[in-house]
Amino acid sequence: MKEVKNMSKLTTITKYREFRTILFLVILFLIVGLVNSDFLSSGNLYNATKNSLLYIVMAIGMTFVLLTGEIDISIGSVLGLSAAVSGVILRDGGSIFLAVIAAIGIGVVVGLINGFGVTKLKISSFIMTLGMLEIVRVTQVIFTNGQWVENLPSSFKHISQMSVLGINLLALIVLVIMIFVHLFLLNSKKGRYFAAIGDNVDGAVLVGIPVARFKIMAFVINSVCASIAGLIFASQVGFISTTAGSGIEMTVIAAAVLGGVSLSGGIGSILGASIGAIIMSSINSALVFLKVPAFWNSAISGSLLIIIVVVDTLISRRNSKRTKKERLNARILNYQEEVRS
Amino acid sequence: MLKKIPKWNLVLLATLIAEIVIFGLINPRFWNINILLNSFNDFVGIAIIAFFVTFVIITGGIDISGGSIIGLTSVVTGLLAQVVGMNIWSAALIAVLVGGLCGLLNGLLIAYTKVQAMVITLGGMLLYSGIALVLVGISGASTYEGISGFSEGFINLANGKLFGIPHSVLVFVVMLLIAYILLHRTRYGRYIYLTGINQNAGEYSGIDTRKIMASTYVLSGLSAGIAGVILTSYLGSSRADFGAEYLMPILTAVVLGGTLITGGKGGVIGTALASIIVGFLKLGLQMGGVQTQYIGLATGFLLIISVALMGGQEVKASIKRLLTIKKDRGGSLNA
Repeated sequence: MKEVKNMSKLTTITKYREFRTILFLVILFLIVGLVNSDFLSSGNLYNATKNSLLYIVMAIGMTFVLLTGEIDISIGSVLGLSAAVSGVILRDGGSIFLAVIAAIGIGVVVGLINGFGVTKLKISSFIMTLGMLEIVRVTQVIFTNGQWVENLPSSFKHISQMSVLGINLLALIVLVIMIFVHLFLLNSKKGRYFAAIGDNVDGAVLVGIPVARFKIMAFVINSVCASIAGLIFASQVGFISTTAGSGIEMTVIAAAVLGGVSLSGGIGSILGASIGAIIMSSINSALVFLKVPAFWNSAISGSLLIIIVVVDTLISRRNSKRTKKERLNARILNYQEEVRS
Repeated sequence: MLKKIPKWNLVLLATLIAEIVIFGLINPRFWNINILLNSFNDFVGIAIIAFFVTFVIITGGIDISGGSIIGLTSVVTGLLAQVVGMNIWSAALIAVLVGGLCGLLNGLLIAYTKVQAMVITLGGMLLYSGIALVLVGISGASTYEGISGFSEGFINLANGKLFGIPHSVLVFVVMLLIAYILLHRTRYGRYIYLTGINQNAGEYSGIDTRKIMASTYVLSGLSAGIAGVILTSYLGSSRADFGAEYLMPILTAVVLGGTLITGGKGGVIGTALASIIVGFLKLGLQMGGVQTQYIGLATGFLLIISVALMGGQEVKASIKRLLTIKKDRGGSLNA
């Protein structure tokens, strides 16, 4: 009975966090829309979803890793490498299917290396993936010989422009996948394992969760998401430079944190991370509509990240203090009753 | 535990000597002492920041904003000296203080709100490089060319020589001495270790561990400011994107130097040796004919392999811990 109560309490707290992020997103859109109503036009909203696709896909993957209490900053390079490899395959006349397989293969391999290093060699995930960030980036440079990959076939570039019922096809697919993964992490037994590991590793081991396997799985999922993002990048942009996706890992982590995912693990949801991703990517276009020069972008997103996270932590700390006090009071009352009887 | 630190430093020293011998055999010019000393110019900024990021990591935190503080201080120096028209030395001093302020903001937020250091310094990284871009944008200077035209004296700060020794080597040694004395020879240094090993124990023994934590970030910010000024002097121009790719080499130097990323253990000497190793590795590979863009492969592998090797002791320790827990199981768990 008590467990059920705790569970429902937990879900309301997560809902509360996401609610705050959604509220922020709506306020952002409304304020910018008030200043310049073109921002809320269907054309711009269409563009906003299209631009945020890349970030949403990567934020979904990142949430898995962050939930287990680890971090992965190699994804920017994975995006670049998978985009370059699949770009070369497509340019040289290979089929799209082959390119997708190659990209996913790269994601799986990098994810396995990351996961193996973190779980078996016990390297701190930040250091491990920092090393991989550099190694994978150089691999891309070696593979492309330092050249840009250009002249992708137009049939491939067209994929990112296709729309069904007025909605971008890729956006529709990503949306459906996002909802499925969100429900998987929230409701299924195996999905809950990821958060359980991040919340309390020792507890997870005692309950019998294969911690190492799930951590490796999280890294693989994250890298595959990054390589899929690489495909989307190649399709949207049409050419791949040697620095494609560099620095994007920090934006994605910031997006996930904005969406209420905790870096210490155990807290967060796919929905929140995706909304964070939309916020991070729409700050850019919001500035354009507010007629603020683009060089403000980084300063604004940095200060937003700090302010939101600090306020969020202070609020949740106060809440947890209050619940602790209530719990303590209840325990004392119980104890007194027991003594009396 | 204290016995282990010199051991790793010996390994580093041996690596350094082996590196010098091997690269010298490949290209005898590598043995030219002037070339070696001059190469300090290329990594003195990384080393200076790494010394004080070691402090941060020993307390159990992390600081990834150093690279963008370099860009910010570089821009501040350039703007104050060339656009505002201030004396270059006071401009440089103010720039270093700005670096310290950035560190103070990081430190206060991390120590007093207890948000993870990673998140705050990630936000700080975006914020400080963003402020640098904003400053450049407002002043109307070109983003790509940067602000140049510094006086001869200021350029000489990093490029000059004293008794045949490049200034950058002297800066390296002076900062190393300051960091060494602070960390290994003062009570403050012991407090830093205690904060990293067990913050609660520190609190109970009457140390204001939050103040200690915050102060390490200030030191790290100040050192990034100094690195920014020196880099500006060395390259003769100030740009917002200076130091943007310093994150990886800084952390490589700290971690390769034997400092545990989880805190509580490490030292400045190891960091210094490691930063020289990484710097010479780059130089040697370049002289051996390896293209600059491939060198990341070597440093990446160096980072992972060194941590994996150090992890050997960790794994042993965790096995030991597991065994002792098993011995106690039964009685104590039920109690």
